[in-house]
Amino acid sequence: MKIVDATLFALQIPFVEAFAHSVRSRSSSDSIVVRLQADDGTVGYGEAVARPYVTGETVASCLEFMERALWPAVQATDYAPWAGQDAIAWLGSLALPSDGDNSTTGVVAWNAARCGFELALVDCLLKSAGVSLGELLPPRHPVTYSGVITASSVEGAVKHAKRFKQFGLPHMKVKITGEADRERLAAIRAAVGPEMSLRVDGNGAYSVEDAIATCEALAEFHIDSAEQMIPRGDPQELATVQGATAIPQMADESLITRADAEALIEAKACRGFNLRLSKCGGLGPTLAIAELAQAAGIQMQVGCQVGETAILSAAGRHLAAYLPEISFCEGSYGSLLLREDLSRRPIHFGHQGLAKPLKGPGLGVEIQDDLLEKYAQQVISLSAKAV
Amino acid sequence: MAQAIRPLIETQYANQVQAFERSPWFQRLEQGQASPQEYDAFVFNLCQTHLKSPQILAFLYAVAPPEAAPQIKHNLLEELGLDEAAICHPDLLYLLATAAGFDRDRQTNLAEAAQAQIRQLCTDPLLFGTMQELGLSVLLEVTCFEWMLSRLASRIGKALAAHRGLPPESLTWFHHHSEVDIRHAEEGLDSVEQYLAYYEIEAEDLETILDITFRENIFIKRYFADLPALAETAL
Ligand SMILES: [Fe+2]
Ligand SMILES: [Fe+2]
Repeated sequence: MKIVDATLFALQIPFVEAFAHSVRSRSSSDSIVVRLQADDGTVGYGEAVARPYVTGETVASCLEFMERALWPAVQATDYAPWAGQDAIAWLGSLALPSDGDNSTTGVVAWNAARCGFELALVDCLLKSAGVSLGELLPPRHPVTYSGVITASSVEGAVKHAKRFKQFGLPHMKVKITGEADRERLAAIRAAVGPEMSLRVDGNGAYSVEDAIATCEALAEFHIDSAEQMIPRGDPQELATVQGATAIPQMADESLITRADAEALIEAKACRGFNLRLSKCGGLGPTLAIAELAQAAGIQMQVGCQVGETAILSAAGRHLAAYLPEISFCEGSYGSLLLREDLSRRPIHFGHQGLAKPLKGPGLGVEIQDDLLEKYAQQVISLSAKAV
Repeated sequence: MAQAIRPLIETQYANQVQAFERSPWFQRLEQGQASPQEYDAFVFNLCQTHLKSPQILAFLYAVAPPEAAPQIKHNLLEELGLDEAAICHPDLLYLLATAAGFDRDRQTNLAEAAQAQIRQLCTDPLLFGTMQELGLSVLLEVTCFEWMLSRLASRIGKALAAHRGLPPESLTWFHHHSEVDIRHAEEGLDSVEQYLAYYEIEAEDLETILDITFRENIFIKRYFADLPALAETAL
């Protein structure tokens, strides 16, 4: 089967008012949606979230890489439908490069761009065959989502924590920056009680010494995991942090490629991996990293992109339901965060953060094209530029 | 309990109403700076918001504590025009829509859009763990609308007459709600208190449910959902 048409939508969907002020540095979603059409007319949707401080990709460079490297590769391939083979092998056969010439761009890998095209291909090819991604990746359990608290003020953070508690969420992740960390965690712990699982995410804001001291200082609040306290760099440094604290360290920005995963495991740098589809290059590469993690006894969290739409949420849902054991899962905030999500039926979790596996063909969500048009800042149609 | 709770709720309501009244969209409407499309979008959204009031009141009637039930039942009958006044409120909204020039198709759209909101309420995954919390959240929102209308409905009606040229008889809905809802708003607060007492909802949970219910400005969200893009270009 050939893909005959591609459209890239660079979106800007505003966040609902309550979050616009509390999600740092962002008040709207900036996803890129990839829409592919096959020669039999089937349409599939994928999503990329470019984050300069994670993979180095920007919206502009991501669009450019999609047009220059991914679209020609996809256009030139005759795709075989999935016929029951191993998921990783089939996903690997989709022939999508993510390693263009990065020597001058500062890009670690074109993983967001690759993810956007991979998910669109998966959605399109499976829909064409009438197959749900859930058949490729059979769900083993329902998914329990965490609340993520990004508010900058301690007062705002407590407010959010109470909301999540009211919704019955059993797990919360708190973003920390080195400012008033103890005060923040003390106030949140007091508000949510002793049962709630709390973890923190430093987004690389700490030095090795500060990371160790902060973990020490926060230990009394029973922290289940500390994510990416120090910046991406030598895995040995993360190993030093892990060696000095009882709180399990989780790699996020340090874990982008398969080589990253191998180096982190080799250095015994951490006890957890945060798997995010857009960061890791889509389902194929993420599943490959998950295999390594499982073999090494590393815990897995399925993470998300703040502001992701129902497309990435759906793919994340399939991944989280499929992996044998995950410690935590984030995402599927849908219209809790976005003024409007793209799917016809709501994707967001319900009470206790619970959500059922998706069953529809492809990724299992129906995308509303009129909303793509409504929120697009830029639309690039690639069919006309055929080689 | 009563002394602490009422001011807490009234403060929330006052903040919601003030933010609405001071929003650029409200000001544009009231000062006649909005485009005809903005006035029509506003009329559409307002009708969509209130067309299903009988259904929402029926839900609240179902979950109401015995002390509050007669009052809510009365509001429901009044809304349907089954009380002594015999004015069906959804009919008043269609009168408004007709005056604003909505043709048959647009009015069908409107009815479908209002129904879609009910459907969404039923199909959205439920974040609250029990019906009592959902019921409280809906009661707080409905009461807050009554509170706002009792203060701003006649001003909105006047603005539509002055700047959109709508005839007085098409604006009965506003007239009706500005006067009627002064009583409703106070009675609504009584119902909230009765509800809290009946279901033994703690002050802390009330505070969180208030925060969740009013995490966005409910009036801006419902009345101006599609307007920001329009308004921003003109500001
Ligand atoms: Fe992170
Ligand atoms: Fe009414």
